[in-house]
Amino acid sequence: MKNDIAIKLEGVSKKYTIGKEKDGSLRGTLASLFSKKSEKQEEFWALKDVSFEVKKGDVIGIIGRNGAGKSTLLKILSQITRPTEGKIEINGRVASLLEVGTGFHPELTGRENIFLNGTILGMTRKEVQSKFDEIVAFSGIEKFIDTPVKHYSSGMYVRLAFAVAAHLEPEILIIDEVLAVGDAEFQKKCLGKMKDVAGEGRTVLFVSHDLAAVKSLCTRGVLLKDGNLKINSNVTEVIDKYIINSNAQKDYYNADINDLKYSVISIEIKNYNNEINHNFSIQEDIYIDLKLNIPLKKENYTIFINVKTIQGVSVFSIEKPILSLNHILIINKQFLTRGIYTLDVFIHIPRQYQAFSLTNVCEFDVYDSDSELSVHGDYNYGVVFGNYIWQ
Amino acid sequence: MEKLIIEAGKKSIVPNFKELFRYKDLFWTLSWRDFKVRYAQTTIGLLWAVLQPVVTIAILSIVFGRFVGVETDVPYLLYNVSGMAIWTYFSFVLSNSGNSIISAQGMVKKIYFPRLIIPLSKAVVGLIDLAIVILILIGLMIYYRVMPSANVWAAPLFILLSMIASLGAGIWLSALTVRFRDFQHVLPFIVQIGLYVTPIAYPAEFAMKSLPSWAAQIYFLNPMAGIIQGFRWSLFGGSAPDGYFWISVVMVFVLFISSLFYFRKVEDEMADFV
Repeated sequence: MKNDIAIKLEGVSKKYTIGKEKDGSLRGTLASLFSKKSEKQEEFWALKDVSFEVKKGDVIGIIGRNGAGKSTLLKILSQITRPTEGKIEINGRVASLLEVGTGFHPELTGRENIFLNGTILGMTRKEVQSKFDEIVAFSGIEKFIDTPVKHYSSGMYVRLAFAVAAHLEPEILIIDEVLAVGDAEFQKKCLGKMKDVAGEGRTVLFVSHDLAAVKSLCTRGVLLKDGNLKINSNVTEVIDKYIINSNAQKDYYNADINDLKYSVISIEIKNYNNEINHNFSIQEDIYIDLKLNIPLKKENYTIFINVKTIQGVSVFSIEKPILSLNHILIINKQFLTRGIYTLDVFIHIPRQYQAFSLTNVCEFDVYDSDSELSVHGDYNYGVVFGNYIWQ
Repeated sequence: MEKLIIEAGKKSIVPNFKELFRYKDLFWTLSWRDFKVRYAQTTIGLLWAVLQPVVTIAILSIVFGRFVGVETDVPYLLYNVSGMAIWTYFSFVLSNSGNSIISAQGMVKKIYFPRLIIPLSKAVVGLIDLAIVILILIGLMIYYRVMPSANVWAAPLFILLSMIASLGAGIWLSALTVRFRDFQHVLPFIVQIGLYVTPIAYPAEFAMKSLPSWAAQIYFLNPMAGIIQGFRWSLFGGSAPDGYFWISVVMVFVLFISSLFYFRKVEDEMADFV
């Protein structure tokens, strides 16, 4: 084996079993001992036959849509879970950062948590001790270092947690989206620190939805789709391909509008800058730009839009009289949770006549890296954020 | 340069002690965290550690010492406290390590380290409770003017044995609980039953006298039965450990070693199940 390779994956696959068996109850297991191969188990391949090599000093961005297998890949590389098939070779000491502040205990002070978190991340107490002052200075919370972290604001908490992580000195660093935390200024600081790390010739694997961050940080890119490796090339090429891929598939354009008197000419998903986009953070409004072809004010035509998840769960619908040929629907930020969404669109006179219909068009992704719920990772915490108050 | 090879379906079934040793700082940090959280953060801190065993001892002494009138070679209270010292430690470590993986699921899902560190680290903080009960024990020995026997050198060995026994059972339960949540309910049950099937409030001779010999052997399959008897022997003297005692000791090691292998077997899929 050549010596300049940091990570080598050969045919790595990961299968999850979904179904009754997974609840892991004793009863279920006992029952299955007596019945012959009873319950149907749904198999799901989160990763399928992924092979690539990472050279030492490479800074690799791993991109792909929700559910493409990015997190699973990171979990396997950080040894949290084992692959179902395949082989991985890793040369060098690995540190993985799938969340900031793993193991932080609210009752302990900032100082104590630095030691706790540091050793959980794989440092020795001595290493933490030697970097302690640097960590505290980086976090900028010197004054509160002996206060229990339960009294910290969420911003301070994240600063301290990232400060510890930023002072890891592994040969290979694996990071999952943790940069998208804290205020803008601190994010810049984090990104700067990350660049330093990358500049020191260490190998970095970085997963993020933030294509700008990936572009500025990484030299190479890996694109995953439905658990398969799509492309492994330099980062600009991978990002371009990703954008082209997603744009080509997702917007809706009607080729032969002249044939239909009542039709949707186009639907484009855009961000607040009026740019076509299919990846939204939960902090962004989503603009759905519809252009229609319809004789106005002739009859009581309405447009009906149903926003659904990719799994087919209807999230909400809108019925609106058609008063102009151009409609922009804005879905407010902090409404849809992480997931892939799609649209059904109809032009009709309600309960009488359907003039035009589209189903499952305009897929777009919503990603979540900074809501309070995002800490739950892959757990399905609902389709929308609750609209509630505590009293 | 460290080199790591992960290959599906291929791994050693022997626990990786070298790696475990590399993470010794994490072991100490987690132990220290538990200590801090348990004693330093509550208002009356250490008092909680005293209160629980004292209340149990008081109740057992009233029921078995007064109501039942159990006869023992040393004053009954002393007899009871010596048994409770070891039992308190055992049940504390068992309960905490048994639930440890589930309680630490946030960590288990987000970072890799040898999972065995989690249940193992629970053995240290329980020593504080043990020390408190032993202080009470020493106080009572002075009060009753009971001299420790010549075998007192062996007392730490029995404490060590009870540590190994509690970890063995705890490691088993912590691993089983991940896969089968039902074991969460089994744990308090074991602790409760254990209090009565272990010679804590009564001498083991009671059990041996009233049980046929095959049943007495089963009685000593409970590792704590032999350990507590041995601990009392080290303190107060009397008949030296016999064949029954060695059944318990063998059980301690069977439990502990098998727990390490089982834990190793399921360790890798813990993150997928918690």
